[in-house]
Amino acid sequence: MAAMPNSSVDVSVEALGEYQIQEVTLDGQEIYTQPLSMSENLTKLAHKIDFLKEESEEKGKATSEVEKEEEEEKPTPAAFQASLWPWDSVRNKLKAALTEMSVLLDVLNIGREKRYMILDPVNQDSPESKTGMYVVAKKKALQSAASILSAGSDRLKKSQEQMSKRTTPDFHNDLFKLRQKWRLKKVGSNILGDLSYKSAGSRFWQNGTFEVTKSETEYPEPSVNQSPPKHPIHKSALQVTVPSELHGVAYIQVVIKCISDGTNLVTADIDLPSANASIPPDYLWYKKLEQAQNVLFCKEVFAQLAKEAVQSQSPIPHIVVGNQILSHLFPGIQLSIALCHSTGKEKKQGVLPLPSPAKTDQNYVLEHSLHQLLTQVHYRNSYHPMPHPVTALLGMSKRRRLAGPQAYTRSELLDLGHSENLLEKVIKQARHIVIRYRAMSVIDELAQLVQDPQIAAHCSPLSSATEAMIRVCITSLGFEIVRTSFLLHITVDNMRAVCIDDRVIDMSCETQELKDFILGQVAQHHITTVQKLSKIMGWSMLSCASHVGVGEMEGVGTAQAILIASPSGDKVLSIKSGPASGIRVCLQKPRGADSLEYPGSVVTAQKWVNAGGPFHEVHLDKMEGKNFVNKIELLMACLVGEVDAR
Amino acid sequence: MGVVCVINFPLPEGKSGQQTVDMLQKRIETLGATKTGNFVVDCETYQSQQPAPQRVMHVLHNSEHPATAFAILDTGTCLVADNTFDQLIHKLKAFYAPKKNAKVETKGQRYEIGDFIVKIGSVVLGQNISFKGILIEVEYCPCVMPGECWGLMQEFMQGFLGNIIDSPPQYIKDRLNNAVMPSDTVMQYLEFYNNFRKAAGQQQQQQQQQQR
Repeated sequence: MAAMPNSSVDVSVEALGEYQIQEVTLDGQEIYTQPLSMSENLTKLAHKIDFLKEESEEKGKATSEVEKEEEEEKPTPAAFQASLWPWDSVRNKLKAALTEMSVLLDVLNIGREKRYMILDPVNQDSPESKTGMYVVAKKKALQSAASILSAGSDRLKKSQEQMSKRTTPDFHNDLFKLRQKWRLKKVGSNILGDLSYKSAGSRFWQNGTFEVTKSETEYPEPSVNQSPPKHPIHKSALQVTVPSELHGVAYIQVVIKCISDGTNLVTADIDLPSANASIPPDYLWYKKLEQAQNVLFCKEVFAQLAKEAVQSQSPIPHIVVGNQILSHLFPGIQLSIALCHSTGKEKKQGVLPLPSPAKTDQNYVLEHSLHQLLTQVHYRNSYHPMPHPVTALLGMSKRRRLAGPQAYTRSELLDLGHSENLLEKVIKQARHIVIRYRAMSVIDELAQLVQDPQIAAHCSPLSSATEAMIRVCITSLGFEIVRTSFLLHITVDNMRAVCIDDRVIDMSCETQELKDFILGQVAQHHITTVQKLSKIMGWSMLSCASHVGVGEMEGVGTAQAILIASPSGDKVLSIKSGPASGIRVCLQKPRGADSLEYPGSVVTAQKWVNAGGPFHEVHLDKMEGKNFVNKIELLMACLVGEVDAR
Repeated sequence: MGVVCVINFPLPEGKSGQQTVDMLQKRIETLGATKTGNFVVDCETYQSQQPAPQRVMHVLHNSEHPATAFAILDTGTCLVADNTFDQLIHKLKAFYAPKKNAKVETKGQRYEIGDFIVKIGSVVLGQNISFKGILIEVEYCPCVMPGECWGLMQEFMQGFLGNIIDSPPQYIKDRLNNAVMPSDTVMQYLEFYNNFRKAAGQQQQQQQQQQR
């Protein structure tokens, strides 16, 4: 109650006359709590007095905990005996406090005298107990996790066992497997899949849609079926229906043949192993799909090639007949690309003969390149370089992008637009194969033919589909230090030889040119070896001509000659080596004293005794020695020895 | 891309532009040249919209370089850029606005004769397409140094133009020993265009004065 001094009206402030609602009954009646009487109110308020509250906060925890326990016991009787004496709880609390104070005082007194009791700092080992707790908690958590995992693995094991035990195929399971490897979609109540390479960038018109159905055929017993040894029975609940045009097996056959004699130089077949196998009806669905996809791929390759063959404007037009494309590589050599598609129902078409096993060396090269070429086309269709700047047109090549700032002329821009198509690339590769085959056969032939200097060829492993490098070394047995070598660079339609003396010779695809060139090199090798040998033997070289202008004309190239004199200078050897005519060795000896006495001799003076006489040919084939260089070495040694003997 | 020389062929007395072009075409055809289509070199001029230093930029296109736009400042700096530069300049309207009635164009026939490319074009100025003169471009493809082949080019040009050139044009004279660039061709055209514009401006002024 508060009274304002300067006002005449007294205002009393007290609690509202409303009682607290204890309960609302279901019919909406409110039951109020009975108001407390004055004494009850006093008891309630007195009960709120707590002397320990602040103390416990200031004091140590140990005592306060004890207090709390006591506290909890006491208020309960006090609440019920409130009507007896309101200060009862207060007295009890004070009493307890007093007891505690006196106990504390006693402890302190005893502790101060240090006779009966010594106060020691207490080790607090609470953190230790805490780590223990953690360990236990973690253990528990791990255990529960482990139990979940082991339960899961048990369930998996069980399901695996069930799967292995199950003999009847499960449609949904198979469908799940199918879905992992092929694109499927549901149209109405049917499940359709896609075989085509469209998602990989193909723009082939034919769509490879197949239908997946639940198979209802009963599988016959293994003893009844004819094929079990070859193909174990694959029970499957799936049935795949592939469009009829993709049935069977297809492959593309590339044949390079000489028109004149009709023999194949090189044959390449795609998928040769399975080419003639027909598909058994109970084939596994995925094999069936793979076969069908291969058919589609081969069809696309052929369609692309045929389109390009028709569109291209080559000097000799390509011929497209039925399922075959004919193209001229070199005069007399034809490339034929054929699509072989056997559906298995009909007999073999017999369009193309089977290649003999000996000639399938190139098999993988052309097969691989054909696959790669179309895959490259697909890749280019689906991946475009990012435009720079980002606002520029999409799909512009880097060179086209630079065309503006580098001010390309009209013709340069036109060249930019032209890119090689599939057929051109295949023809280039085929040409290269032909020309490489020719070069190699020429080298092999000559290596067999020319026995004296050995011809060895090393093919470089660093080659591409249209370029190859062969190093040819010419050496003589026993004189390997002297070596004539040249590099043969084989490109699409010509060869280039780079000699060790910086000469570069370009040759066409004709083998005769290469043959002549190698023979020339062989002739040169003889002269070079003799030249080196004369140095070692102490003979002096009088002259050396790489292109001799006198004597009979060589059928091929020019002859080379060398003139060497013995150390004493009285004997001269003349050696002429021609690519076609071979080697001729002639010896000049001093006239000797006999010549002066020869009747009818014009020269009679003694001083002409040492003058050179006529040249006499040495018959090398009648000489001892393993090879030409060996023979010359012996001859030289002989001639020098003759002088000494004299 | 070889050495290019652009020259102005003065109109003979009493002949119209078309007649002169026909005459030149007849001459080059009798020399054995083959027609290889048309050519266009056009020039659009833009003015900077900032008042302080008024800058001028010429944007040229040459049909010989179809993917390229040449932007040349009045200081002679030349930018060789992609064709999309036109779209860029269109967006920069607020800073560079096209000058009115200043579009110049050379159009005509393109001929090839041996190693030479000859273009005979008539120059047209502004929107009302007024004929201004005849420009002849001669390109000698195998060479890129003007100093090395000027004599040959001069002799060739005398063959069908007569004795109108005795020394190389100033632009080529300055660069006799530099390898030619694609921008050199358009720079020569621009020089002539600027001259034609000046002459046109003077004519207008004279007409206005006469009217007063």
